[in-house]
Amino acid sequence: MNWSTCLSALAAFIFTGVLAMAGPAEEHFENLVRPLLAQQCQKCHGEKKQQGGLRLDSRQAILKGGDNGPAVVPGEPGSSLLIRAVSHSTELKMPAAKKLPPEQIVALERWVRDGAAWPGDGPPKAAFDSASIAKTLWSLRPVQPGAPPAVKNGAWSKTGLDRFILARLEKEGLAPVSDADRRTLLRRATLDLTGLPPTVDEIRLFLADTGPEAFAKVIDRLLASPRYGERWGRHWLDVARYADTAGDGADYPTPEAYRYRDWVIDAVQSDMPYDRFLREQIAGDLIPGRTGNDYAQGVIATGFLAVGKRYGYAPNPDFQHLDIADVIETVGRSVLGLGLGCARCHDHKYDPVSAADYYALYGIIQSTRIAFPGGEEMKRPVNLAPLVPPAEARRLEGEQALALAAARADLNSLQDERSRLDGSEWAGGPDLAFEGQTVGKAPGKPWLAMGANTVLAEAQSPFRHVHPAGKQGVRMAASQTNDGIRMALPRAVRKQPGGKIHLTIDFRTLAEPKEPGACRFYFGRGVIGSTAIDFSLSARQFAIRQAEGWKVIRTIEPGVWHTLSLALDPDKGSLEGVVGKPGDLAPVVGKILPNWDGVIDTFICDGLGHLPGKVCTHDLDNLGISTRAFGSPGGGPVVPSPVPADAAARLGQVDAQLGPAKKKADDLAARKPFAQAYAVAEGTPANARIQLRGEPDKLGDEVPRRFLEVLGGGKVAEGSGRRDLAQWLTSPANPLTARVMANRIWQWHFGQGLVATASDFGIRGEQPSHPGLLDWLTAQFIRSGWSLKAMHRLIMLSRVYQLGSDPSVDQQANDPGNRLLGHFQRRSLDAETLRDQMLFVAGSLDLTRPGRHPFPPEETWGYTIHNPFYAVYESSHRSLFLMIQRNRRHPYLALFDAADPNLSSAGRLPTITPTQALFLMNSPLVHQQSAAFAKRLLASPGDNLARVRLGMEMTSGHLPDAAGEHEALSFLAQSRQKLPAQATAPDQAEQQAWAALCRVLLISNPAMHLE
Amino acid sequence: MPTSSRREWLRQTSGGFGALALAGLLADQARADDPLASRPGHFPAKADRVIFLYSTGGVSQVDTFDPKPVLQARHGQTITASRWLNKPGKFDRYLIKSRFQFQKRGQAGIPTSDLFPRLGGVVDDMCMLNAMFCESDGHDKGTLAAHTGSAQFARPSVGSWVSYGLGTPNRNLPSFMVLAPVAPYTGAQAWGADFLPGCHQGTQVIPGADPLPHVKRPPGPSLQEMELGLLARLNRTHQEQHAADQALEARIRSFETAFGMQAAAPEAFDLTRESAETLKLYGIEAGTNQGFGWQCLVARRLAERGVRFLELIDVGSSANWDSHGDMADHIPLAKKIDQPIAALITDLKRRGMLDRTLVVWTTEFGRTSFNATKDHPGREHHNLVYSSWMAGGGVKGGMVYGKSDELGILPAEGRVHTHDLHATMLHLLGLDHERLTYRHAGRDFRLTDVAGEVIRSILV
Repeated sequence: MNWSTCLSALAAFIFTGVLAMAGPAEEHFENLVRPLLAQQCQKCHGEKKQQGGLRLDSRQAILKGGDNGPAVVPGEPGSSLLIRAVSHSTELKMPAAKKLPPEQIVALERWVRDGAAWPGDGPPKAAFDSASIAKTLWSLRPVQPGAPPAVKNGAWSKTGLDRFILARLEKEGLAPVSDADRRTLLRRATLDLTGLPPTVDEIRLFLADTGPEAFAKVIDRLLASPRYGERWGRHWLDVARYADTAGDGADYPTPEAYRYRDWVIDAVQSDMPYDRFLREQIAGDLIPGRTGNDYAQGVIATGFLAVGKRYGYAPNPDFQHLDIADVIETVGRSVLGLGLGCARCHDHKYDPVSAADYYALYGIIQSTRIAFPGGEEMKRPVNLAPLVPPAEARRLEGEQALALAAARADLNSLQDERSRLDGSEWAGGPDLAFEGQTVGKAPGKPWLAMGANTVLAEAQSPFRHVHPAGKQGVRMAASQTNDGIRMALPRAVRKQPGGKIHLTIDFRTLAEPKEPGACRFYFGRGVIGSTAIDFSLSARQFAIRQAEGWKVIRTIEPGVWHTLSLALDPDKGSLEGVVGKPGDLAPVVGKILPNWDGVIDTFICDGLGHLPGKVCTHDLDNLGISTRAFGSPGGGPVVPSPVPADAAARLGQVDAQLGPAKKKADDLAARKPFAQAYAVAEGTPANARIQLRGEPDKLGDEVPRRFLEVLGGGKVAEGSGRRDLAQWLTSPANPLTARVMANRIWQWHFGQGLVATASDFGIRGEQPSHPGLLDWLTAQFIRSGWSLKAMHRLIMLSRVYQLGSDPSVDQQANDPGNRLLGHFQRRSLDAETLRDQMLFVAGSLDLTRPGRHPFPPEETWGYTIHNPFYAVYESSHRSLFLMIQRNRRHPYLALFDAADPNLSSAGRLPTITPTQALFLMNSPLVHQQSAAFAKRLLASPGDNLARVRLGMEMTSGHLPDAAGEHEALSFLAQSRQKLPAQATAPDQAEQQAWAALCRVLLISNPAMHLE
Repeated sequence: MPTSSRREWLRQTSGGFGALALAGLLADQARADDPLASRPGHFPAKADRVIFLYSTGGVSQVDTFDPKPVLQARHGQTITASRWLNKPGKFDRYLIKSRFQFQKRGQAGIPTSDLFPRLGGVVDDMCMLNAMFCESDGHDKGTLAAHTGSAQFARPSVGSWVSYGLGTPNRNLPSFMVLAPVAPYTGAQAWGADFLPGCHQGTQVIPGADPLPHVKRPPGPSLQEMELGLLARLNRTHQEQHAADQALEARIRSFETAFGMQAAAPEAFDLTRESAETLKLYGIEAGTNQGFGWQCLVARRLAERGVRFLELIDVGSSANWDSHGDMADHIPLAKKIDQPIAALITDLKRRGMLDRTLVVWTTEFGRTSFNATKDHPGREHHNLVYSSWMAGGGVKGGMVYGKSDELGILPAEGRVHTHDLHATMLHLLGLDHERLTYRHAGRDFRLTDVAGEVIRSILV
């Protein structure tokens, strides 16, 4: 055998191995035998140990056997040593420690009896080789459209497409059923393209148009309807796992997500070429030369990457790998039909995706800044994507910051003036001392106190550099951990560019303290909402909290007053100052805590210091927090400026200006300088390292950012690599993207794809039922300029699409799953269509675009895992505009099996349950719509028979036969008879009888199905 | 009754839908194509149904079912822990004794603590599993592991697997019902069907005035029987005009079951039919419509009516057994469930149902027997060993299976992984956990993934 025949023999071996995997023997092996051998046998008979010279980790090795000869004789369990050993029927008993449970022995026997199949068996531990796997995978071969095949019944085919279907049916000896009647066809096409039933007028027009182009005209009309983009946009939203909440533990709302939803609808409506549709969603923000709305739309499109399920609590890297995993898995499933997720932990067992491939893509997504929705820890969204280009965004942000700084400066000077006028200005800072408090009591407003805290004269600090000499301080007696004092500052202090924040406080512990614990001084926003800095005081130590933990910075002398005085420099993130007593001042240098958001409006002293246990009694005084510097410790007394003579008059003027000035500053702070999207932007480009077994803290080799090797690999040109990724995904050299979408379009028309696993074109996915047709469709799709509308025309004008929906007896017997498409598959209306149809025929459907959901304003958000966001908003808009909640799902959408937005959804999995029936029988929605529908019918001209006919036609597209008419009319008559006893007025009884009839029509099988 | 003659009958009984539904269509519903039709398992079952009790938050084993005399004696001494708050390292930690007294109870003399005095009274029917362990010490992951076998991914709940495997004998009620005032961690994912057909998902019942939404007819005059009669006739006519279609048939049946549920479900939830003595046994007042006693009693009534799998959640993701701060927090929580669970076991037994009803109690994980300070009143999460128990349904009573080490830190013998617990539950129901598979995304999935071993020595 020469080298090349050897190679091809190997390829053939792998190929047959893979094909054979579909068989039951192979499944039996994969499901029962492989795990059993791995768990029970290979520890002693595997790669590491070969007891008795035997390995049980490949078929080859098992057939070769060990010291006692072959372990297995395929087909002969009785002569196989392995079976005898595990049965403990001879001397050789394995596993020695414990006999296998009988079902495992049976599983092994069956495996040997059936020939000891071992799919994909090669030399044990072969290295991952994507190229050889790729050769075996049909979906990776280039698209090879052949001509439509010859058929016996040439007259039957309307289009080339039909010949693919018919040829296969003829081969299987099956005949297609006859065509659907025209009413059925119109209802089918209208529900299919718009998600709404045809109106009675539309039915009349179609029935009246007997020309050969009648149905083509209907298709054009439907494709031009704005309802089309809503319907087919919703299909893509399934794939894109769209929801209006983030799905983190607290399920934060994502109010800007609707922009992406609307973008999808508009893109589909305008028949944006699918390759561009994808490129926009991957990297629409990076397409050069765009301005204005074009730029904004490109940014919004990348919402595709952002709208997935989130895991984090704050915008830090702790859970980032899970968010990135969601993006990679979604892109793989939705665009390529490949499950990339498995490669997060190991080279993919079946598909041609290695862990290196995975982390190559990981690098691209990690180099992308994804909007953070808000979470338990950081309860506000950040990193939303500006809808203006970066330079413009910086300019607008700068203007906004300047305007805000000016407004705050105005406010500050007014507040400063006021504190001078009313005499409360002491030493340049607000009065944060205890002078206003009652001696002998706990500090009252603006303080909050818990535990044994008392304002006392003997707790007066001797220092004079902060406030003028006072008469009292606070004594905090040995306390519980959560006891302490807290103050919300009358004026929040904020970081300003180039400005510093000054903090000071005096303290002493009582002489001879015994308690081991430490108290904490907290400076930050809110009650531990965002910490700027923490200090801690124990009997003999003073500590500062830094990102890495507590750090003791000096010793403390019990019974002696100390002072802390420091300046925070938010620009540098640093702080410096001194702590100690006059003549013994030690420098303090450190960093502001990393997650601080720039505001200090709260001071707390409690028992949560650097040492656990009870805290010794301590005194506090002279707290100061200001953007202006205080005096130096040990410096002289501070004297308040004299109160001006005209104080009273000026005070009135200042007070009148204060309110508007504050409002102006607050409004500016709340205003966003530009609209934003829940989308992505470029981050810091960097390659990722492989995470061993998917654990982010076990890192392997770095992988350059690139595409899947099996699809050409490639190299990132610039930035994150998203632009390159967008190109790779839509490159003509990549056969998956167009094939996957051609199949999805087919599936959305017929209810089932040519490949039944629409998001899995990998080796474990299903093979196409009509491979030739799929490639032909794919080629047509690309040739049409990736046009969905062209595909709709191509498919819907085929004969296959127009067949009746009842299988023949032959078909029922030989093709129960209708894989051969001998008839059109009836299906239940999905959740959205069912509700939309109800509202539509009842005349209650609001067909406008609703925009943003009425979420609570952002400043009120405080959602946590224990108190998550949840809302159901009433709406009379189309169901795709309902607020889709991720964690606790919308009750209607969940009940009727709408897409679960936690993962990319390949298709709906409809169920039929009694709880759905209860909803249809008893819910307010159905009762309200049936009442509205009844009113509408009663208002229509004609007699009751005409109304019955109208009602049936509106809900099912068909007119009742005589028996049906009779049923309905006698139902009305009986209802009227039954009702007067219960109802109050005759017209009410009439209305109720009709509402009851309408209820039946709305939930009857002819209305609830697309046929 | 064959379909055609039933159709005929339907035609004749104009407006007689109610009588038809109430007469029971059970025989007709027991069809192979009905995913909820009751069907036999892989081998004869010891139990027909499960009542799965779940205590959210992580119940401390050393304070409830696993006494540790050595821990009591070594209180205050230090040990070196190799992991603390989910971070590996070397941590000097103080042993913390239980402040609850243990007594030997029952004929078997099994010790349980004073947190569960009444449960101690039925200990001869219980089998303690004192060397449980699971993969994660996080609440979400622990909850998922206990319910779905997977701490990592969304997977079908054990109740969904059982419904999928066995169907349900009473089609007037859902096969898998969850009585839960509030959701545990991970919410409804804990009882989700995930990739299994949606009819197997747990139907949550929130105790209170309206436990099953839409089960009540809207107020005002109702023509419902007439409506459903007309609906059935229109649907049958439609069906006759078309070739046989399972979905059309299933939809028709769903209305029949739903109609039955309107009466059957409120009836099952109606405790006025219970004697004062029974109410007292469960510790509830007449007219109560919530509380764990109510949940247990309703569970018994639903079990009697054939519901295949019942899950009871005592507390949700807040104010639960997660007693980091103070183990005294266990006291009111235990008090809330002690009498109801004891009553449930007693009641099932005296009605002859316990033999065929498997009662299982578990939690995410246990709690540490040590802490960071010497007399710390609380305990942290501990998944390396903890306690659960089973009762009835083919499990030996008065037995302790598995042992933790003398300090309650690691399993010493007879360890039971959540996969093993699930495998055993399925086994008792006549299902082989390795054969109960579902093909999804190209591979066959199992509740127990590729692991799980039936705990044979606890089987009757």
